[in-house]
Amino acid sequence: MEKGKPVTIDAGTHTGGAPAVQGLSAREVTLSYGAAPVVKGVSLEVPHGGLTVIVGPNGCGKSTLLKSFARVLKPVSGHIALHGRDVRALRGRDFARQVALLPQSPIAPEGITVQGLVRRGRHPHHTLLRQWSPDDDRAIALALERAGMTELAEAQAGDLSGGQRQRAWIAMVLAQDTEVILLDEPTTFLDISHQYDLLELCAELNRDGRTIVAVLHDLNQAARFASHLVVMNHGEVVAEGAPHDVLTAELVAEVFQLDCDIVPDPRTATPMVIPHERVRAGKTG
Amino acid sequence: MTTSVTSRTGGTAPVRSGAARSVLCLVGALVLLVLALFASVMFGNMSNSFGDVLDVLSGDGDSYLTTVVESRYPRTVLGVLAGVCLAVSGTLMQGVTRNPLADPGLLGINAGAAASIVAATAFLGASGQSETMGWALPGALLSGVFVHLLGSAGSSTSLVRLVLAGAVLTAVLTAFVQAVTLSRPQVFDSYRYWVVGAFGGRDFSAFWPVLPFAVVGLLVALVLAPSLNSLALGDESATSLGTNPAVIRGTGLLTATVLSAAATAAVGPIAFVGLAVPHIVRAVGGVDFRMQVLLAALTGPSLLLFADVIGRILLRPQELMVGVVTAFVGAPALLLAVRRMKGGA
Amino acid sequence: MSTDLRKAAPAPADSPRPPRGYLRVGNRIALPVQRSSVVVVLCALAALLVAAVLTLTLGRLGIRLTDLPSAVFGGAEGKDAFVLNRLRGPRLVTGIATGAAFGLSGTLFQTVTRNPLGSPDIIGLSTGAGAGAAAFALLLPGVPVWIGAVLGAVGAMALVYVSTGTGFRNPGRLVVAGIGVAAISTAVIQYVVYVVERDAATSLTAYLNGSLAARSWSDATTIWVVLLATAPLCALVSRHLAVGEMGDEISASLGSDPGRTRTAAVVLSIVLAAGAVTVAGPIAFVALIAPQVARRITRGAGPRLLLSALTGALLLVLADLAAQQLPLFDDLPVGIYTMAVGGLYLGYLLTREWRRGSL
Repeated sequence: MEKGKPVTIDAGTHTGGAPAVQGLSAREVTLSYGAAPVVKGVSLEVPHGGLTVIVGPNGCGKSTLLKSFARVLKPVSGHIALHGRDVRALRGRDFARQVALLPQSPIAPEGITVQGLVRRGRHPHHTLLRQWSPDDDRAIALALERAGMTELAEAQAGDLSGGQRQRAWIAMVLAQDTEVILLDEPTTFLDISHQYDLLELCAELNRDGRTIVAVLHDLNQAARFASHLVVMNHGEVVAEGAPHDVLTAELVAEVFQLDCDIVPDPRTATPMVIPHERVRAGKTG
Repeated sequence: MTTSVTSRTGGTAPVRSGAARSVLCLVGALVLLVLALFASVMFGNMSNSFGDVLDVLSGDGDSYLTTVVESRYPRTVLGVLAGVCLAVSGTLMQGVTRNPLADPGLLGINAGAAASIVAATAFLGASGQSETMGWALPGALLSGVFVHLLGSAGSSTSLVRLVLAGAVLTAVLTAFVQAVTLSRPQVFDSYRYWVVGAFGGRDFSAFWPVLPFAVVGLLVALVLAPSLNSLALGDESATSLGTNPAVIRGTGLLTATVLSAAATAAVGPIAFVGLAVPHIVRAVGGVDFRMQVLLAALTGPSLLLFADVIGRILLRPQELMVGVVTAFVGAPALLLAVRRMKGGA
Repeated sequence: MSTDLRKAAPAPADSPRPPRGYLRVGNRIALPVQRSSVVVVLCALAALLVAAVLTLTLGRLGIRLTDLPSAVFGGAEGKDAFVLNRLRGPRLVTGIATGAAFGLSGTLFQTVTRNPLGSPDIIGLSTGAGAGAAAFALLLPGVPVWIGAVLGAVGAMALVYVSTGTGFRNPGRLVVAGIGVAAISTAVIQYVVYVVERDAATSLTAYLNGSLAARSWSDATTIWVVLLATAPLCALVSRHLAVGEMGDEISASLGSDPGRTRTAAVVLSIVLAAGAVTVAGPIAFVALIAPQVARRITRGAGPRLLLSALTGALLLVLADLAAQQLPLFDDLPVGIYTMAVGGLYLGYLLTREWRRGSL
């Protein structure tokens, strides 16, 4: 009988070469969907073990950058590296055991149950002949539990509410059991309590050792949850660092064309954006 | 089937303003049509000069010349009729469905006309070309109505339903047509001459029964055009602009069906005119549907007549049927357009 | 990292067993096998067996049921030998594999395009094959029709491949290009049918409907070789198709290349359909309907390759049984029956969905 492999398939197996950079990094990455580049020569190191949030106005290239980190989009030039190795040099399956992505609008196959959906997150741990691995059940059960979906495991994915569906997808991503999780605007279409539930879950996962990178729209949420804030504009990174260093009134005015005060959040003391009244609706964000 | 195809609305092109441009377009289309008419009576197995044609038209031609030229009148008139019907029908379909690939041929009309001809020849003893062709019209209309009944069984009419209903009807009727034609050779003959889509060898008997449907259809299309302009903005905007989307869509599709049935009955199934003309018209004349309908009614016949002339010249002394020519001209145009499609998963 | 996993579920001493629904062989092999689908597959096999027995025994020339086992296993004599080895045996064996190939082909295509109406017919394969057959019948009357059909199918697919500009990766473009190629092909067919003599036109039309009449053991070998050669590749691609159902980004982030999966599935689908068209002509609707039926028999997500193949085989064998035994018309091409039945079934599906309001 085969001995049960260790449950974790994570950083431990990759530190052998002692690479220069831990975790994900981008070097001079240019990305485009057609002729015009959407992301222009961005270099960025994602702090390993951190909760990084990328913000920026619509069309600034933040989701595009995230997709390239997930190896979904191939850079026109430059490199995305994981632990110092170019991700293009990794096999898709090996990469998928280390980095997971929750895209903005994933498609739930018709007739699938929550558990079936979550089970699909185990894909990179399987092979053609071995479509089950000893860790599957524990990883799936744990993923369901962490996402609070254990009770709904047998429900049809199509019957779920918006918040439940997003949690089901989170569970699928968790079942993938990766050290890095990328989330593309995970709070869109959720009502406010579900938004905070989800962000709290991200923070919790981060405390447990996972690296989280999320693209968010809401600056206050970003500042509240991020350990590292990245601000993008016109396809470039204009600022990065701890939220209270990055988020200044000048920056918001320049990037979002919004005049505001930055005050400390009364509960968490993280910076909070209080917009000024606009005299005329001349400028748009 | 176009159900999975991303639709690009006709309303994306920038609106070209100015009455001058519209007049220019209409005049240009009119000139083109006149040229096409002349070409259609000029060329053929025996080609005449422009002067000959003018002589005949003014009554000065000798009798042989007159006979030759006049023998081309029916096919020319049929070409104009079919061109108007197909082009306007396609414009309506694409306008109503906001799908640039909507084609009236998807609605099961061809199969209905074919089944009707085959049934009449096999079981009612219809014989001779004009008699069998006469059966195409009721068959085409009946199948069009049937598809609409099946397709709008619920509350509203959707393109997907119509196309699927058309596919169902086409399958069943085609099976019937094939079964009958394969077991009765003489029925097969009249069927295969009709199904290829040709103007040659037709006379005015194919024209008169179809004319009223074409005229009514064209008039309704012109009346509908302003409402289609609001429909192009989306159902909600259209409602707030005071049009009833369901009614406009139902009427538009029904009119498209009638027009397409009229053309099919007159000349047999002809591909791509209904699909291509609206695209040309949009590119040249802009997004206003009043303009589109008028331009389509002028451009469709020109296209069809030129295709027919090409078919007559290409394989002289034989003829290439107009349906074959339009397919070979239209399909590559579509294939080129595919390359420029955006996304489209 | 992932310490939470260890904390919550300490690794048991002995090796864990896969949950119900998995077939495990040794340590290397564990495949998902749902009990309900095993039952369904066995039922389909039984139905196929019944249809096969009926095909061999019904009618004036049928082998008597009591003689069948000895004829099949012990060698037949006289009339039975003729029926078994020449008249109906090869036809049946060809029909099973052709139906299975169409069923597989349709499932692959529908899953890839996420279009329940997808089938290789839609991208012009069948009409391309027909146009090739027609062109050969007109220009090179001596050459076997199926060669023209294969070349036509390959040519049509090449044209589709080139004109999309992105190969077979983009389903939307695929369908539109297919419409164009199908239109050209139809024009060719109709022109040839118009031009040639009536007899030639009739036999061409019969071929273009798709028929299993007068198939030989070499036809049967051809399609079985195609089927068995592609089957392992289908199994290989099926796992990635299941992930691909969730969209390109998810499947890429799960380590499967969505573009490559699509190309592989479309190519397999085309090869299977082309093989089937080669031996039986472009039989309508089997590729379209078989996956639909399979999907309605079993619930849950994911492509059901095996069941779709069996359903396709069953559909075609039953239709061919009707073609042979129904006294309506004399031995019509089986394609006419599949077209009529398929059309009616599609109509039934539509009206049912509409009543449920889900379309």
